Amino acid sequence: MNQRVPAVSAAPAAAPALSWWRLFTSTDHKSIGLTYMGVAAVFLVLGGLEALVMRLQLAVPNNHLLVGEAYNRFLTMHGTTMIFFVLLPLLLGFTNYLLPLQIGARDMAFPRLNAFSLWLLVGGGLLLYLSPFTGSPSQGWFSYAPLSETAFTPQRGVDLWSVALIVSGYGTTLTAVNILVTGARLRAQGMLYRRLPMFAWMAWVNGFIILFALPCLTAVLMMLEVDRLLGAGLFTRGDPVLWQHYFWLFGHPEIYLLILPAWGIISEIIPVFSRKPIFGYEFVAWSSVAIAFLSFAVYAHHMFAVGLGWPVDLAFGTTSMLIAIPTGIKVFNWLATMWKGSVRYTLPMLYAAAFIVQFTFGGVSGVTFAVVPIDWQLTDTYYVVAHFHYVLFGGSLFAVLAGLHYYYPKFTGRFLDERLGRWGFWLNVIGFNGVFLVQHLLGLMGMPRRVYTYPALSGWEALNLFSTVSGFVLGVGLLVLLVNLWRSRTHGAVAGPDPWNGWTLEWLSSSPPRRENFVALPPLHSRRPLWDLKHPDDMDHVRPPRHDRQGRPIRDEEREHR
Amino acid sequence: MPNDRASRTHLGMLAFLASDTVIFLLLVVSNVYLRRTEDHGGQTLLDPAHMLIFSVLLWGSSAVLVLAERQRERRDPRGAGALYLVTALLGAAFAVAQGLEWSHLMARGGTVSASLFFATFYTTTGLHGLHVLLGLPMLVGLSVLSFRGLIGRRAPGVAAAALYWHFVDAVWLALYLVFYVWRGP
Repeated sequence: MNQRVPAVSAAPAAAPALSWWRLFTSTDHKSIGLTYMGVAAVFLVLGGLEALVMRLQLAVPNNHLLVGEAYNRFLTMHGTTMIFFVLLPLLLGFTNYLLPLQIGARDMAFPRLNAFSLWLLVGGGLLLYLSPFTGSPSQGWFSYAPLSETAFTPQRGVDLWSVALIVSGYGTTLTAVNILVTGARLRAQGMLYRRLPMFAWMAWVNGFIILFALPCLTAVLMMLEVDRLLGAGLFTRGDPVLWQHYFWLFGHPEIYLLILPAWGIISEIIPVFSRKPIFGYEFVAWSSVAIAFLSFAVYAHHMFAVGLGWPVDLAFGTTSMLIAIPTGIKVFNWLATMWKGSVRYTLPMLYAAAFIVQFTFGGVSGVTFAVVPIDWQLTDTYYVVAHFHYVLFGGSLFAVLAGLHYYYPKFTGRFLDERLGRWGFWLNVIGFNGVFLVQHLLGLMGMPRRVYTYPALSGWEALNLFSTVSGFVLGVGLLVLLVNLWRSRTHGAVAGPDPWNGWTLEWLSSSPPRRENFVALPPLHSRRPLWDLKHPDDMDHVRPPRHDRQGRPIRDEEREHR
Repeated sequence: MPNDRASRTHLGMLAFLASDTVIFLLLVVSNVYLRRTEDHGGQTLLDPAHMLIFSVLLWGSSAVLVLAERQRERRDPRGAGALYLVTALLGAAFAVAQGLEWSHLMARGGTVSASLFFATFYTTTGLHGLHVLLGLPMLVGLSVLSFRGLIGRRAPGVAAAALYWHFVDAVWLALYLVFYVWRGP
């Protein structure tokens, strides 16, 4: 019951071969998107190796592999790399690649600005990795003042670190400008806001978060540099807590700007592999807007232990709990989408399922931090480390991996190898949960974070060793994934334009898409233009009810894969 | 005309300036906040009346720019080009005045590390000065293009550049009031 798409999609695959020169000079959003992902892959290897070295140091108590300042340097580089140069470029890559395709545009609104943003980000990453030559930054990615002041971290690497983040931050801000204008102005005829594909919606809302969050970082980094280079003392004679206010005013929305496009990817994958339109489209869309607002209103929950006073703690505790509502809405909507659908556990869907479980787990441990007394107990323990890795790695990165498997046929015209893919999936899931699940326990037992060693206490050694071993399993899993990504580019099975029987516009174009993306667009009347195209007798905008009175599906879409 | 190029460029500049506003806002807030933690006698070194003269030059440049835009829309490239140049000259005069004021202040002990007031003062006005300096080549470029007749009646990039310059001037109004006029909490 799988009708072929009419002739519009049978456009010739006119994408020219990948060449290095084209990669460096292209202003095409697809080429830029893929370059973002390639850059992120390089940094993922770097950041991952840093993490493994740290885990080796922590494998046994009283270890001497990576002591004191050296450990702090690895810690700083790992955090900075992963947040700014792995997750962010990955998500920007997806946004760049997919946003124009999904809204039926030829390119982003400002293609040359787009390329400029990419190279600013790459330049920032290079600056960051030049810092070891001038003394690696060792103040942590959060760079708390006064620790980050010259008195405590005199090495020049900290200044390079700041400049690296300012430079790449400007790149990201300009990308946000591009995303916002593209979403607002370049939608095809009939692509109303209420018909935007979920990923496009969330990527667009994400543009707002970036636009207002990143300048906070830029401002506070400038202030830090005025302190460090000109001896102003804003955070020493002034107020060290001011750093935390400004930093987290950026830092908390940053978490959401790393997860929102990831949610968008998940919201694309789950409906397609459940053969049902997403449940509660409006709720999924508008909860993103709610999160965009709330993300700025919860920032001080990183500072409960600072001593802001009870009323402030209470206010921010409340808003932090509120954010569980729109987040929960999304999770329940994904589950409801799968409910009574005919779910196909392809590789992307497997990753999406792992995402839901892990992200929900991370979300729930996040709610525990909104309870101020619990936060006081658990802050600066491994419980925090476990929590944010569950959200950012188990959530954000797993969603990106789901997206990679889902969109790989679109990027390259070929499928990822199924057997390697499954090996990679299970190694990643087992490895990831092995590393971080036990860290909840370590945190509850009182093991502090940011320490380079620990005494031989009953229970700590075994769990730490387990965590380290799992870390290497995870490393192998990611390696398998990278090998698969590289090999399948030339060896994978040929996919065709619409391998998953999708519904959004990107599956209309050839794989990989031609330079202008589309030959012609179909009339857009609903949220699933390709469904309408494939089922002219059962179009969404003239749709009958989905279930009969007994709750049995009466539409083909829910039986397609039975 | 939702897909019109003009509205696209304009919107892009608006979005960028919105994010720029956040930076200025945080820097100004840090000044206001840090004034409470330290005696800010340093502010008496500033001379509001003296700076007002040069501020009026900057604000006046915005008015000239409005006239220039009007000439451009009336298809008078030479007039518009001349007015763009005047705008740039007024902006340059302001930048020079600010530089002189800075050296004057530093000579009298108002250095970055002298007090938190001055630390935030230099950070904020410095960032604003950087915006002025970035705007100047833009205005000169507009003038050259206009004299060569390369700017049409509807020029989205030009309108966006003008928007930027007006923004820079508006920010200065806020900075002037906070740093020079307001005596603090």
